[in-house]
Amino acid sequence: MKAGAVAASAGDFSPKRMATPDPISVATSVLERPAADLLVMVAAMPADQLERVLRNLTAAFPAESLLVATQNEFASGAFADLRIVLAPPTGAAWTSTAADFANAFELAREENVRAVLLLGPGSNSLNAAALRALAGAVLSSAVDLAIPFYSLPPYAGLINSAILYPLTRALFASRIRFPQAIDLCLSLRMAERLAAAAHRFTASNQPDALIWPVNEAVAAGYAMDEFDVGPRALPQPADVDVNATLSLVTGSLFADVEAKAALWQRPRRLPPARRPLPDWIKSDGAPEAARLIESFRFAYTHLQEIWSLVLPPNSLLGLKRLSITDAAAFRVPDPLWARIVFDFLIAYRLRTINRGHLLGAFIPLYLAWVAGHINITAAGCSSERHIEAVAAAFEADKPYMVSRWRWPDRFKS
Amino acid sequence: MLNMLLFLLQSNPDAIAQPVYADNSSVWRHMSDALHQSVYRVLTLLIAVLPGILAFFVALVVFSLIGAVLSAVLRRVLVLFKFDDRMAQARGNTEWTPSAPPSVLVARVCFWAWVLIGLLIGVAAFDTSYAAGTPLPISLLPYLTHAVGAILLLIAGTLIARFLARSVLIGAVNAQLQYARFLSLGVKWLVLVLTAAMVLDHLEVGGNIVELAFGILFGGIVLALALAIGLGSRDLVSRSLESRVERAGERNAGPQNVSAQGPSETIRHF
Repeated sequence: MKAGAVAASAGDFSPKRMATPDPISVATSVLERPAADLLVMVAAMPADQLERVLRNLTAAFPAESLLVATQNEFASGAFADLRIVLAPPTGAAWTSTAADFANAFELAREENVRAVLLLGPGSNSLNAAALRALAGAVLSSAVDLAIPFYSLPPYAGLINSAILYPLTRALFASRIRFPQAIDLCLSLRMAERLAAAAHRFTASNQPDALIWPVNEAVAAGYAMDEFDVGPRALPQPADVDVNATLSLVTGSLFADVEAKAALWQRPRRLPPARRPLPDWIKSDGAPEAARLIESFRFAYTHLQEIWSLVLPPNSLLGLKRLSITDAAAFRVPDPLWARIVFDFLIAYRLRTINRGHLLGAFIPLYLAWVAGHINITAAGCSSERHIEAVAAAFEADKPYMVSRWRWPDRFKS
Repeated sequence: MLNMLLFLLQSNPDAIAQPVYADNSSVWRHMSDALHQSVYRVLTLLIAVLPGILAFFVALVVFSLIGAVLSAVLRRVLVLFKFDDRMAQARGNTEWTPSAPPSVLVARVCFWAWVLIGLLIGVAAFDTSYAAGTPLPISLLPYLTHAVGAILLLIAGTLIARFLARSVLIGAVNAQLQYARFLSLGVKWLVLVLTAAMVLDHLEVGGNIVELAFGILFGGIVLALALAIGLGSRDLVSRSLESRVERAGERNAGPQNVSAQGPSETIRHF
C-alpha cells in the first residue's frame, strides 16, 4: 500500500482522543496485506521529523515487518514500501497518555502484530540502532517491556531524578532509570495490560491521564529491561509552569503507588545493576541556584504550618537548618529528602490535608532539592552519582515507609 | 360650692397614689392567684410538650440504632463483594478524593439517612403533641431552629474560609508573591465576614444595621485588596501577561519547539 493512500482516507477520519472499537482508518483491506511484526505508533510531529523517524525505522527493520501508525496526515511517496496508517490524535505532547496505550493495543490486536513500539514527539533524535535495540528485545521474546535509557544533560529530567526514579526503585524494586519514558516497546500482552489500566481512565473521560508501565510490569510479573539509546531531545510540557507539571506527575504516581500498596509492601529484591554509571556530561555552566534557595526560604516562612501537618519534627528540624544554611553549602541531605517524599506520600494516602494543597506545598521542597542538586554537581560530583545516592537513600528508608503505611497512628506523637 | 369641696378632696395626691383596699390580705391573695396561674400554665405546657419530647428522643434513638446495625451489615456485605476495589477500578484517578473508602462512605450514608428519618419522625411526633396539647405561644422554638441553621452556616463558612485561605497561601507562595500571607488573610476574613453577616441575617439580629455594616466592611476589604494587588504588583501582572502572550505564540507555532534541546545550563524539570 502506498503511503499516499493514507492521506486519501484521512477525510473519513473523525478526530478522537479515546480508544474506539475501530479507531484507525486503513486504506486497504486486511486480506491484501502481509502481516506485520511490529506496530510503530508515532506521535504527532513536524513533517521533517516524521520523515527522519521513518528513515530510521526503515534502516532498522525490514519494511514489510513494519506497520506505522502516525497522527500526521502523511502524503509523501518517499516511503512507498512502508505500510502507514492514520492513528487517532491524542494529547501526547510530552509523555504517553492513557489514550495512547488504549489506541496502541486496539490497533495491535486488529493487526495481530507481535510488538508495539511507541515513539513520542522528538523521537527523530533516536537513531536506528536504538530503535532496533528496543524493538529487538521484545520481538525476540526476551522481555515484555523495553524502556530506553536516555543520556540527558545533568539538569534535565529533574522530576524523574528526584522523585519518579528513586520512588519506583525503592517501592517496586526496579532499576529502570526513566519509568515515565516517552518511547517504549511493548509485547502484545504488556500492551493489553497497559490498555486495561488505561481503560479505567478513558472510561471516566480522562484520556490524558498518565500510566506507569514499570509498575504495571512489576505487578504483572513481566520481564523488562532498559536499553541505552543515547541522547534524546525530550519534549517539555506545553504549560511551562513547573507547579502544574509536578502536581500532575507526582499526584499520578502517588495514586498508582496507593493502588498497588499490597504489591510493593511485599519484600522484593532489587536486581543487580547491569549498567555502569554513564559518563558525566559536564555542562557549560551551572544554573543559578540562588533563586531556588530564596524561593525555598520564602516558602519556609509561610508554609511551616502546613508542612507541620505532614512532616515529623525531625524533618521540620532539618528544613529549619536548611533555611539558615549558606547558599553555597545548600543541599538537601539524601535521607531527609527520602523521608520528605515518603511522608508526603503517606499524607496523600491518609488525606491529612486536601491533596491539591498537599502537592502544592510539596513544590518548594522539590525546588530546594533541585537547588541542592545544582550545588552538588557544581561542586564536581557526577549528576548520576548523586541520583544513585538519592535512590539508595530511598531504598534504605523503605521500612519506615512500610511501617507508616501500615500503622500510621503509631507515628502521630 | 359643695361640689367644689368634694372635687378638692378627691384630687388629694395621697388618695390617688395609694389605692384603698378594704382588706390587706387581698393583695397577697391576688399575688398568690397570679403565681398559681403562671405555675399552672407552665406545668400544663410542660405536661403537654413532655410526651412530644420523649417521643422525639425515642424515635431518634431507635432509628439511630437501626441505622447503626444496617450500616454495619451493609459495610460487611460491600467488603465481601470487594466494592472498594471495583469502585477504584471504575473511577480511575479522578480529582474527587474522599477521605474514606467508598464502602465506608456508603455505610455512613445509610446510617445518617436512618438518623435523619428518626429526626423527621421525632419532630413530627413532637409537633403533633405540641399543637394538640397547648394553645400557648412559644416564641423560643422557631428561634431555636434558626439557631441550628445559623450554627451550620457558621461551621460551613469557617471551613470554606480555611480552605480558601490555604489555597491562596500555597498558590501565592509558589508564585513568589511577597504579600502571600496578607492575601491569604484577606481572603479568609472576606469569607468570615460574609459568613458572620449571613449568620446574623439568619438569626434576624440587627436588621439593616448588619447589612449596612457588612456592605461597608466587605467593600472595604475588597478595595484594600484591589489597591494592594494593583499598586504592589503592576510589574508582576504585566510580566505575567507578556509571558502568557509569548507562550501562546510559541504554542501556535506547532510542536516544532519540542525538539530543541536547550542549553545545558537551563533547568528542565521533566
